[in-house]
Amino acid sequence: MPASTALPVSAGIGLRSPHIGHVRAERPLVGWLEVHSENYFVDGGPAIAALEAIRRDYPISLHGVGLSLGSADALDARHLGRLKQLVSRIDPGAVSEHLCWSHVDGRHLNDLLPLPFTEEALALVCDRVDAVQSALGRTLLVENVSAYVRFDDDAMSEWEFVAAVARRTGCKLLFDVNNIYVNAVNHGFDASAYLTAIPADAVAEIHLAGFDSSGDCLIDTHGARVAPPVWELYRATVACFGPKPTLIEWDTDIPPLEILLDEAAQAQIILETCDAIAA
Amino acid sequence: MPSLREWQRAFSAAAVFNDAAALASLRIVAGGMKPEARIGIYRANVLGNYRRALAATYPVIKRLVGAPFFDAASDNFVRGHPSTRGDINRYGADFSEFLGSYPPAHDLKYLPDVARLEWAVDQANIARDAASFDLTAFASVPAQLHGELRFSLHPSAHLIVSIFPILHIWQANQPSCSGDERIDLDEGGDTVLVLRRPSDAGGIAIERISRAEHLLLATLAAGRTLDEAANRCAAMAPEFDLAAALQRHVAGNTIVAFRAPVVPTSESGA
Repeated sequence: MPASTALPVSAGIGLRSPHIGHVRAERPLVGWLEVHSENYFVDGGPAIAALEAIRRDYPISLHGVGLSLGSADALDARHLGRLKQLVSRIDPGAVSEHLCWSHVDGRHLNDLLPLPFTEEALALVCDRVDAVQSALGRTLLVENVSAYVRFDDDAMSEWEFVAAVARRTGCKLLFDVNNIYVNAVNHGFDASAYLTAIPADAVAEIHLAGFDSSGDCLIDTHGARVAPPVWELYRATVACFGPKPTLIEWDTDIPPLEILLDEAAQAQIILETCDAIAA
Repeated sequence: MPSLREWQRAFSAAAVFNDAAALASLRIVAGGMKPEARIGIYRANVLGNYRRALAATYPVIKRLVGAPFFDAASDNFVRGHPSTRGDINRYGADFSEFLGSYPPAHDLKYLPDVARLEWAVDQANIARDAASFDLTAFASVPAQLHGELRFSLHPSAHLIVSIFPILHIWQANQPSCSGDERIDLDEGGDTVLVLRRPSDAGGIAIERISRAEHLLLATLAAGRTLDEAANRCAAMAPEFDLAAALQRHVAGNTIVAFRAPVVPTSESGA
């Protein structure tokens, strides 16, 4: 009997290859797991077999990094087809993608690149979100990304752009608190403007991660513990939108599983404290 | 404002190719940091993603040439061989070919073949699963028809022939090895079978096979009958024990299926 499909309103962790053996063997106490969809775009072999085994014990979220909702190029039908296959194989609690672009004229840059916040980009992204939701037959979660550039041609703020995508398409938001903090520092805005602009019922999941502050601006590396001001913003987010499934993401310099579980436990306390206040 | 496509084209040119005019056309807000430095973060991210992805697929190549050489090769490769899919894990199919014509690697003649071996290992890891050979069904085929049978290899099976000792090089450059071993490039080439073992046995097997075994497996993989494969092997190596090789590769899961000849019906047999 597989674990329930829906993501519980609790803390989860991003499952990366160094921890898969450990998770399969020990089944640590954590509410749910998230994987990068593309890591399972395979025809067979040990990776997908391991994910199917883990799926029997945990709800799974499929988090895509390569569909490129904001490319002027057409949606990559092969990529979308792979995603659809994976969704039917894993029966995930959530399927998410990023509010970014990554290919042009068929050249993929395989990175989460920033969009100009223009009416043209907004209309294109909304069309693509509609198309993906219709192809998958389910609601997509869309994540705000960190960015190191803004453009003179931006016609609206980031939060206006993100809120408009949710309102126009009915998609849900994967609210990445770390990315908002990184952007607020890098571009000098007040992160609370974001909280005010986003419709509370649109937020379906929250991400937490660490950044690198050693250079001229904050770099979203997913390679450190969640920073104190990001925990602060997370508390404000949970107070504003209510408790939501919350993920600890760690992608570079991946530490022992215990560290991820410890971060998740801290998020869990905040979720539960908020519950107590709400009750 | 240019169209979104023109704008994305300019971003790509600025990030990947350091194109200054393209960068200017993006109209990046400076805000305390120069546009060059801002786009430079994306350049480092993009090139870094490919360096990591290629290093994950080609760890032996990286160890053979060292990180600075590998990273420079990766950056050059990326510029000339754009990724064509959103899944970066599968990037680098042409890396072997690239290394063969990359001037700084000119003297390292064995690199392309080692890269082919590493790509085969990567592909074997993600190939389709397949049921094992159906010995019961095979037992019911009359012996006089065996020569007409065609056999399929496991989807993960890859055959690689090199004039260099690529398996020896690969083995001596695994993380557990010191890397101090001297390998004589003239010690003879390797003919190698790469195969994913059943999940309970675990992992990828890389096995040295004889040239006759290679001919047998390659001929079967090309869809020829057992008779044709046997004739070719006999012509190349009269002493080759075909029955023993077949048995070994069925037991080892290299050969996973057979197809009986299509018997013409009386209607179509004219």
